[in-house]
Amino acid sequence: MKPANFTYHRATSVEDAVAALADTSQMSRVLAGGQSLVPMLNLRLAPVDTLIDLSRVASLKTVDEQSSAIRYGALTTHAAFEDGRVPDGSNGLMPYVGTQIAYRAVRTRGTIGGAVALADPAADWLTTIIALEADVIAIGANGRRTIAAGEFAIGPYMTALQDGELIEAIAVPRRPASERWGHEKMARKTGEYAESMAIALIDRNRKTARVVLGAADGAPIVLAETARAVAGGQTDDSLASVIRTELVASGRDFAPAKLLMHSTVILRAVKKAAAKQ
Amino acid sequence: MNQTLDGRDRIVRTQGVGASVKRNEDKRLLNGQGEYLGDLQVPGMAEVAFLRSPVAHARIRGIEIPEAHKGSVFLASDIPFAKPIVAVSAAKGFNASDYPALVSDKVRFVGDLIAICIAPTRAEAEDIAQSCIVDFEDLPAVWDIDVATAAGAPKVHDHWADNVYVETRIETGDIAAVRAKAEVTVKRNLRMGRHAGVSLEGRGVLAHFNRRLDELTVYSSTQFPHVIRTIMATCLGVSEAKLRVIAPDVGGGFGPKNNFHPEELAVAALSMKLNRPLRWIEDRREHLIASPHAREHRYELTAYADSKGKILGLEAVVVVDAGAYSVWPWTAAMEAGMSAGIMTGPYDIPVYHARAISVATNKSPLGPYRGVGRSGACFAIETLVDAVAREVKREPADVRIENMVPLEAMPYRSATHKYYDSGDYPTCAQMARDAVDLPGIRARQAKPSPDGKLIGFGMASYTEQSAHGTAEWVARGLPVVFGYEPALARFTPDGKLILFVGIQNHGQGLETTLAQVAHEELGIPVADVIVRHGDSSVSPYGMGTFASRSMTMAGGAVSIACGQLAEKILRIGAHLLQAPKDAVTLRDGKVFFGQQSVSFAQIGEAAFLHPERLPEGEEPALEANAVYQPGRSTGAFSYATHACVVTVDPGTGHVEILDYVVCHDCGTMVNPMIVEAQVVGGVAQGLGTALYEEIPYDDNGQPLASTFLDYMIPGATEVPDVRVLHMETPSPHTRFGIKGMGEGGAIAPPAVIINAINDALKPLGAEIGETPATPDRILDAILAVKPAGAAA
Amino acid sequence: MKTTVSATINGVAQTFEVEPRTSLADVLREQMRLTATHLGCEHGVCGACTVLIDGQPARSCIALAVTLDGAAITTLEGLADDPLMQTLKASFHDQHGLQCGFCTPGMLMSGWDLLKRKPDIQGQDIRVAMSGNLCRCTGYQGIVRSIEKAAQTAKGQVSQTKGAAA
Ligand SMILES: Cc1cc2nc3c(=O)[nH]c(=O)nc-3n(C[C@H](O)[C@H](O)[C@H](O)COP(=O)(O)OP(=O)(O)OC[C@H]3O[C@@H](n4cnc5c(N)ncnc54)[C@H](O)[C@@H]3O)c2cc1C
Ligand code: FES
Ligand code: FES
Repeated sequence: MKPANFTYHRATSVEDAVAALADTSQMSRVLAGGQSLVPMLNLRLAPVDTLIDLSRVASLKTVDEQSSAIRYGALTTHAAFEDGRVPDGSNGLMPYVGTQIAYRAVRTRGTIGGAVALADPAADWLTTIIALEADVIAIGANGRRTIAAGEFAIGPYMTALQDGELIEAIAVPRRPASERWGHEKMARKTGEYAESMAIALIDRNRKTARVVLGAADGAPIVLAETARAVAGGQTDDSLASVIRTELVASGRDFAPAKLLMHSTVILRAVKKAAAKQ
Repeated sequence: MNQTLDGRDRIVRTQGVGASVKRNEDKRLLNGQGEYLGDLQVPGMAEVAFLRSPVAHARIRGIEIPEAHKGSVFLASDIPFAKPIVAVSAAKGFNASDYPALVSDKVRFVGDLIAICIAPTRAEAEDIAQSCIVDFEDLPAVWDIDVATAAGAPKVHDHWADNVYVETRIETGDIAAVRAKAEVTVKRNLRMGRHAGVSLEGRGVLAHFNRRLDELTVYSSTQFPHVIRTIMATCLGVSEAKLRVIAPDVGGGFGPKNNFHPEELAVAALSMKLNRPLRWIEDRREHLIASPHAREHRYELTAYADSKGKILGLEAVVVVDAGAYSVWPWTAAMEAGMSAGIMTGPYDIPVYHARAISVATNKSPLGPYRGVGRSGACFAIETLVDAVAREVKREPADVRIENMVPLEAMPYRSATHKYYDSGDYPTCAQMARDAVDLPGIRARQAKPSPDGKLIGFGMASYTEQSAHGTAEWVARGLPVVFGYEPALARFTPDGKLILFVGIQNHGQGLETTLAQVAHEELGIPVADVIVRHGDSSVSPYGMGTFASRSMTMAGGAVSIACGQLAEKILRIGAHLLQAPKDAVTLRDGKVFFGQQSVSFAQIGEAAFLHPERLPEGEEPALEANAVYQPGRSTGAFSYATHACVVTVDPGTGHVEILDYVVCHDCGTMVNPMIVEAQVVGGVAQGLGTALYEEIPYDDNGQPLASTFLDYMIPGATEVPDVRVLHMETPSPHTRFGIKGMGEGGAIAPPAVIINAINDALKPLGAEIGETPATPDRILDAILAVKPAGAAA
Repeated sequence: MKTTVSATINGVAQTFEVEPRTSLADVLREQMRLTATHLGCEHGVCGACTVLIDGQPARSCIALAVTLDGAAITTLEGLADDPLMQTLKASFHDQHGLQCGFCTPGMLMSGWDLLKRKPDIQGQDIRVAMSGNLCRCTGYQGIVRSIEKAAQTAKGQVSQTKGAAA
């Protein structure tokens, strides 16, 4: 189980990486923590001619505290969140999610940028940054642009990134201190990808709520109807039918067992958030 | 352990039989100095990558090898002298398959071997394999038992009449009479999923020709090097005297390394032909798709019982998907035959009719895996016993215990023609049940659950035939009769002992437990005993380690050989001490006469270097050979009851194990620490079968789990702290009363977990009868009885 | 095409040639002959190949050697004289924390990192923290017990040295 050969380019700066990526005469991929890409290379499932190693690009490791948001460089590792080595504006949700991904020896190398770019439907960060209404900062030959997290993933392993673009940072808005979060991940084993995961954010003061379902076969689903009901104070078992109706209406064609599992997980995330008020 | 065992008085020793001695083998392994197959290098060695079939069933029209790689790719036609592996069961009507080193005409499963590609590194060898193009004429895939047995099904082996390796029957007692008189008839159809063995180290082979000795040396990560030498010599057409097979440190076996593999044959044959060292290391994907698989059973069961739940008779149809080829030496008939052949387990069921059918499909061949056949049999009978209890509305634990073979009936001949040598099954079951708070659980079940989770209790018992000898293996009709085990015990002139044995140690602690047996006989410190195994040129011909046999069989042989040495040492010691022989004793590596002593080193020196110091007529040297066969060759039956408490989350299908108890009896325990760890390790594997592990195939015959991302084995949080209770009923037929126990832990978990889940689901009226019990399957079972809208 | 990489391996500066596709594990095992690092899956799941890269635990099967120019790599062999590692090994021996030994180096490396970060850890938390290292033999009970006992022993040793220093 060894990779096919490729050439290696150690990027020295974002510009250098973008320039290397712009060469469309061959198949190039960027390498961040390698925790998803190298397994795929080993299995010969990801064809690549040139690997562009981002790991030495210092600017991708910086964390920038802005007044309304925190901008995490794409190379910020899961372990950095877990250990609280980076600032948090999510009332503790991001550090918590950092502990839920894979295993320590993966978290020390895996990055938020790599996880989001991969857009595995079950990826923890993807659902999280959609729930937190973050922005993905992309950079390419045509410069920088900002993509709302909710619009970033467009399907399983498919994103709004264009050829030649890479993720420079994830900008997460500082959430109001009055907001409470509930997180529920159903995985068959500790550290595995979720079978179902949901995040609920409830702010009683502002009478708002957000509910997002991940591991839902495609891009995470923002459940607007459910959130409206939750914002209106409906956080008990009666919410189940609202969730169900919305999932059925999502057009994802869930098998009955999956529908039940997702409904349960969403309701539990809501209840957890509600219980923190 | 201080009582009299097999009639001999023995002194309690802190290192002897019964002591939890720490392991001799730990040091090298903890220092990372174990030497596994992948750690070996030979100068000039090339790495092998196999070109494996990407399709399940196709004729090979041609193979295109790029010009640049001609000379690095080898086909069946390059090793024409390598004969196919043929494993034929003596069962009547058995359809034989030719399992070739490399296929040339047609491929029969995804992973079948087509070519050997060699290069200086594995990566380059894989490049070469990837560059070859095989022209296939696709054939419809026989991907499932139903497909295989349908009328007009495509055939896996063209010259057979159908896709059935063999069907065997057991017919004991008058089933029609039982059918007529039964007050209760309970039927169940069950399935146990196909999975892989998953030793953490995969398989692997390194072959090179030794010019000086004029012999081919084959290193293989195998459980039975001597037996591999025999079959390999046959397939290569060379004399066994020109072949040496070495198993280095082996990173787990569990059955998949207990077959003769086409990979072993192919690498050895090509190395011989090229006169070049070759190494193949199985990667995880190869292991998951192409190592001999485990399980895949289907059961149609009918129990006939009275109104109290006493089972009067049982009918069973066992159908096993045995895959594309019959594996050597076990044959494709083993799994179904063993399952049907032990089905009644610890129960006194006098009337039993069974059919055991082994079906050929386009899947990886099925081979032995810890708990062979019996995991399925236990799953079948124990699920059925619970179903009977539910039917007669009684506590399953009670119905179970009432149906067991009572102590007074021992030794007992079962309806499956097994001879249970000894044991107290009801007491064992009671002990397991009583270790769990069953009344508390029943009380909790009577009240609504605060978090919506459903609690359930399950129990399952089994008997484990172990250390079976000649009679049993002859009855099974295998190509080799694993009836005995040898040991050569040899002192060095400086008084240390080396035991040369034919078993193979890969985690079982045999480098320690056999030393404990030597200590028992000789009083030699365990640290002074070295156990050498795993090399056909070093130790006497032996059968290897499988079927829970090594401790009993090799332990017996070591005991006899060391007993002979003890006699000689006492004679020499007495002579050196100028004492009468019956006045001297063995202790701490010395011979004592009162306060005076001579050390084994002095005795070794006399025996080897100074024969003039020996008593008159005493032969020089200090070594003894022994071969052991148990007193009865029908096997020593260990047994156990597992009990567990689970919660089932009806909203997610998630199962959590709250408590897990094993009460077991493996006769005399040589090393309780090791016994306990074997039980726990077995339970972990059984939980994999029960809840996690599965390789489904799609209708093209493609395996759907080929990496650890889609194939899950239990991790540290998926295995509970198992509580182990011991009983010790020595076998009347083996040295020290030892019974084998290596596989047992893995037998009961599928049954006990399914029973606990069904107990939890009982209020919903739902029931599951398939492993692994995945969240989806559990939810489907719930949804089948409950309208979907009423969820969460 | 091969690239030259310089890295410190177990405290010794090493320079080696690799293809870009070569994993750190293969460099360690095949070129450096440091075979304590085992390969159980080669796709990042089993943990048998765990080593330290710049002091942090990492899967060496999915770390490309070419990316590690200038890094400090530590394998089990490199911690032979480390007191905590010695304590852990002694505990694995006492508590029967290994059977075939194939997962053991990875277990020791992960366990060592865990005890460095969380010296007070016990019970279920050890199970969660060790869940990234698969073992097929032991059922984990002996491993969890070994780490728990090692934590206790190591704390005793630390308080002793502290006491001696005071
Ligand atoms: C055993 C195991 C278990 C895991 N379990 C989980 C889990 O439970 N939940 C979970 O969310 N993840 C899990 N992961 C995945 C892990 O989180 C990865 O770290 C992550 O998905 C990828 O991050 P990386 O930095 O390693 O990216 P890489 O592997 O380096 O890259 C991944 C992909 O993203 C691209 N990429 C990387 N960085 C950028 C960038 N800045 N811009 C554009 N494209 C980029 C790469 O080209 C590649 O296609 C698991 C991984 C392993 C090995
Ligand atoms: S070999 Fe690296 S994680 Fe399995
Ligand atoms: S001891 Fe064998 S895999 Fe852990």
